[in-house]
Amino acid sequence: MNFKEIAKRGETGRLMDSNDFLMKRVAASALKLQKQYEIKWEKGTLVNQDDDLADRVWTAGRELLISTGIFSMNSNRVIEFTAEEIDFALRFTPDRVFMGQGKERKAVYHRTVEDPRKPFIFAGPFNADTHENMFVKLNEAFAQEKIIDSLLFPGYLKELDGQIIRPQSGLATRAAVLYGQFAREAIQRAGRPGMPITGHAVMASGEIACSNEEWGLRSTDPRAMVLISELQVDDVTMTRLAYYQAVGCPIYMAFTPLIGGYGGGPARTAIVAVASFIASVVLGGEIVHIGPQHIKYKQQTNEHSLFLGGLADQAVARNSKIIVTTSHTTSGRPGSAQYAREFSALALTVVTGGSNITGPRPAEPLGFNNVSPLMARLLAEVAHAAAGMTRAEVAPIVEKLYETYKNKLSLDNAPVGQPFEELYNLKTLTPTPEHQALYDELKDEFIQMGIPLG
Amino acid sequence: MQDKEQIIAAMQASIRDYDEVAAEASARQAVEAGLDLMETVEKGFAVPIRELGEAFDRMDIFLPELMLAADAMAKGMEVLDRAVLAAGGEVKNKGVVVLGTVAGDIHDIGKTVVGAMLQANGYDVHDLGVEVPDTQFIEAARSHNADIIAMSALLSTTMLHQRNVIELLSNKGERDNYFIIVGGAPVTPAWSGEIGADGSARDAFGAVKLLDSHREAWKR
Repeated sequence: MNFKEIAKRGETGRLMDSNDFLMKRVAASALKLQKQYEIKWEKGTLVNQDDDLADRVWTAGRELLISTGIFSMNSNRVIEFTAEEIDFALRFTPDRVFMGQGKERKAVYHRTVEDPRKPFIFAGPFNADTHENMFVKLNEAFAQEKIIDSLLFPGYLKELDGQIIRPQSGLATRAAVLYGQFAREAIQRAGRPGMPITGHAVMASGEIACSNEEWGLRSTDPRAMVLISELQVDDVTMTRLAYYQAVGCPIYMAFTPLIGGYGGGPARTAIVAVASFIASVVLGGEIVHIGPQHIKYKQQTNEHSLFLGGLADQAVARNSKIIVTTSHTTSGRPGSAQYAREFSALALTVVTGGSNITGPRPAEPLGFNNVSPLMARLLAEVAHAAAGMTRAEVAPIVEKLYETYKNKLSLDNAPVGQPFEELYNLKTLTPTPEHQALYDELKDEFIQMGIPLG
Repeated sequence: MQDKEQIIAAMQASIRDYDEVAAEASARQAVEAGLDLMETVEKGFAVPIRELGEAFDRMDIFLPELMLAADAMAKGMEVLDRAVLAAGGEVKNKGVVVLGTVAGDIHDIGKTVVGAMLQANGYDVHDLGVEVPDTQFIEAARSHNADIIAMSALLSTTMLHQRNVIELLSNKGERDNYFIIVGGAPVTPAWSGEIGADGSARDAFGAVKLLDSHREAWKR
């Protein structure tokens, strides 16, 4: 649907209280549809292998969006869609999107369940708080990993010139300009000047400030925006959408359904997730990112999130052309073995479910620069290995991995890990011997478990 | 007229059934029957709401159910509070909380969950909504005679407003009037300490535990 029509409905749709939208439309409708389509989670199931369940979740999710619409939080109006409009958007959403330039131009595509083709890898600092003097170095370290297809969210500059940045201030705009400049410098230093940078500047005005074909984010770089849970947009979201459409960049649209929230448990939240996938393409999203949140764990590798992620991805992969990517947010932090075990469990689940890869990142970073490009490489390798495996093959491996960390999901108990400057030699931008050894040990462990890593 | 056990059972059922109308009606019956209102609140409303809070913690029920139960209890409490005030008494609650998401931040759910859990656990919660200007936290805390200010921020940029509110209170000489807690995805205990908050919680359960365990620090 074109932007003008969406904007118009956002100003003229049914006036409603936000709480009524969430309780009476989203929560009540999702509950009704869950009962109608008998959508349940069997405790203990981590990887869904029931195609009929995935199809029922798709049907319920599509009906949910028809009954709810999307809530515009600033105008308090509901942007509603007919079934025909939704199906039209689904029919014409692209099944592949190109990004990047020159030798680095590549496509992310719609994947099917148990698709043998390798997933696209979005990896990078993933919005980590980043020191100014470390920004280029750690992004370069990600960009030099050839297995990473697009640099992801190059990092937040919270401080600049020794000063904490206040949102919407002049300093924030200067930070956004540097965000674009530093990211470009990093990919050039890595010898990949055409590498796509999936960007998300902090504020909507920052998106404009960081855009420049010469030195900043280009029209060939995907740009991200986030729907607000559940099925809501605000003026910032719509501002980003209007700008991205004008620039002509690939639109990377994310949503974060909350398990334990208005959608209830994992099965019902899967319905909300499918509705959000469809809402994203109706709004104009071309690459759709699911990042399930959890009311208790705040990360994405617990049993509920594993099941939800796999099920929702399968529902979309089987019934649409939507290009899906799934976020990998863990309790364990970079530098710990648990970090890798968690993201590997999720990667096996969602790659066989038809998703591409976004991540990894810790749910609660400890301070600045809490990233590891080497662990991003390992995630990508596990994801590539999962391509072509069946859900039946990955399920027991996911269970084994989950057993290793299920009692350390609490962010209080999860390993603290180390920052980039302790995991890498900053002169050579290579992992320290200890970090390299951790990678080697984990790789051996995963091969022993049955993941076909080369 | 129903006896005490029947009325209390009806009050409990109204919470477990998330039924505002029944909660109001059963509370009215309690008043009309002349029951001890403190005991009635504890047995009729507090017991089932605590059970539901525990069920929410185990994820046997979810946010909509918790909010409906808290709403039902609030309806019943309105009736009981009116009766207490009419009799010249004083309305009791654990503490008065002013809650909101800070300026520039429109994220609502985390803050709403905290509000519902606090309400379910006996706190008088005044939810200021999202994008709350720094000064509005202070004005609301004054006007509601609050014990606690709770600020949520989901973005590492907007969390600066948590610091601003505390700094503003300090500059006005009012910092010690309130117990201040902060939360949200980017908020850590280190940040809480750095900005001079009294504590932080990762989730709604943590917020309740934090306030309950520091009652001596904020109860005036």
